[in-house]
Amino acid sequence: MIPKVEWAAFLEVADNLRLLQVPKGPVEGYEENKEFLRTTHHLLLEVEVMEGTLQGPESGHMFPISHGIPNMLLSEEETES
Amino acid sequence: MDHEAAQLEKQHVHNVYESTAPYFSDLQSKAWPRVRQFLQEQKPGSIIADIGCGTGKYLKVNSQVHTVGCDYCGPLVEIARDRGCEAMVCDNLNLPFRDEGFDAVISIGVIHHFSTKQRRIRAIKEMARVLVPGGQLMIYVWAMEQKNRRFEKQDVLVPWNRALCSQLFSESSQSGRKRQCGHSERSHPYHPPCSECSCSVCFKEQCGSKRSHSVDYEPAMARTCFANISKEGEEEYGFYNTLGKSFRSWFFSRSLDESTLRKQIERVRPLKNTEVWANSTVTVQPSRHSSLDFDHQEPFSTKEQNLDEEVFVESSSRKHLEWLRAPGTLKHLNGDHQGEMRRNGGGSFLDSTNTSANCVDAGNLEDDNPSASKILRRISAVGSTDSNADDTMCVEDPQPDLLDSRAFMRYYHVFREGELCSLLKENVSELRILSSGNDHGNWCIIAEKKGSCD
Repeated sequence: MIPKVEWAAFLEVADNLRLLQVPKGPVEGYEENKEFLRTTHHLLLEVEVMEGTLQGPESGHMFPISHGIPNMLLSEEETES
Repeated sequence: MDHEAAQLEKQHVHNVYESTAPYFSDLQSKAWPRVRQFLQEQKPGSIIADIGCGTGKYLKVNSQVHTVGCDYCGPLVEIARDRGCEAMVCDNLNLPFRDEGFDAVISIGVIHHFSTKQRRIRAIKEMARVLVPGGQLMIYVWAMEQKNRRFEKQDVLVPWNRALCSQLFSESSQSGRKRQCGHSERSHPYHPPCSECSCSVCFKEQCGSKRSHSVDYEPAMARTCFANISKEGEEEYGFYNTLGKSFRSWFFSRSLDESTLRKQIERVRPLKNTEVWANSTVTVQPSRHSSLDFDHQEPFSTKEQNLDEEVFVESSSRKHLEWLRAPGTLKHLNGDHQGEMRRNGGGSFLDSTNTSANCVDAGNLEDDNPSASKILRRISAVGSTDSNADDTMCVEDPQPDLLDSRAFMRYYHVFREGELCSLLKENVSELRILSSGNDHGNWCIIAEKKGSCD
């Protein structure tokens, strides 16, 4: 899964969430690097936003996250545009 | 036009699922084997999207991949989340994902809920968009052609089976799952006994009191649904009492493509209750056994349509349940199906005892009893590829009480053989069809996203 991560976005989120010790990217030989794998696994799969907001980078639209569930629905005006 | 389609879907897809979501949590739903297989064949480390994931039954089929669930229905997504899955609320038509992010996408029993061809195409295109080149998309849709029964039309409203719900209530402990149940705006003018009142009210009561209800709900629902159809409620009761506990489906067809939809809108505009327009055109499946003479106030169906209609034998609400049940418990809809179901006994909510006259034979009756009070109009779905070229629709001057939406009618566009394939071939050039077939009364397709050099 590591090659599929979009690191720029990941780092931005990690920054927003004030996560510490975030790898800046896949390190050389990351497949064997336990430290890297553990950290990345934790950040990707174990850190969850329970309450918060997602903001669309282009539209600036805010999507709420509640109980860990993001609601990505657009209003009808937005969908028609 | 798209707005009306969205309204119909809101009424007869989203609201229904939201209201009935609490009952899904207790269903022992298992994955369809073919879908399961598709998921298990994906490479380890794949990222997969289940668009229309419902309660998330496919999200954990393969522990080697990461599957994200999406559904329009918040309550269902919550159930998925509670199971520990990653799930979110979103719209198939506007997926909140970047291009080419998923290695595979599944859409199981979803796009048949879109009420126009254009929306179905959009849904498929959105899923293709988020697929990586070479990634595969699996789509399952309900087939119009079934083994032991036939949908009269492609665009149908299928009642929610409340007997199922009552069964759940009596069987399972409804501990933490109580939610606000949906209800419709209008109060039902017809007042059956309280234990059998209209669906929504009963749902609320159930939620509040945790009362267990008998399977008599089913007749009650039927009664409710039909109450408006027949002038004489007593006849209704008699009819349904005779039928006993059985599933009934009424199929109301209307073609929802552009021209017909527009005409429908115009016709019902004066109505303040916008939900009625969706129900105002009804083709009720004729039953070979029914001899009930529904009276003239039965506003539905065209005379023309019902003359040649094949008899509808089985409940299609069971078909829906197939989505939720392990295929093992539900056999194919083959010749032995009826027998199979009967053997399952009365305890199973999948028991279809509806092989007898459970469908309203409204159409045939109209031939004998033309009603002056009815205003039948024919709207031919010219140019519509969604239904027969000679389809006709009947629009009755809508009566506000008809087909109370609290019967939780769910809208489906059932697909003809080859329709899904054609849809992709003609409109979604970014996908290449790898295989297609029929699985348990569903048309299925596996397609691959073409690469940039394709």
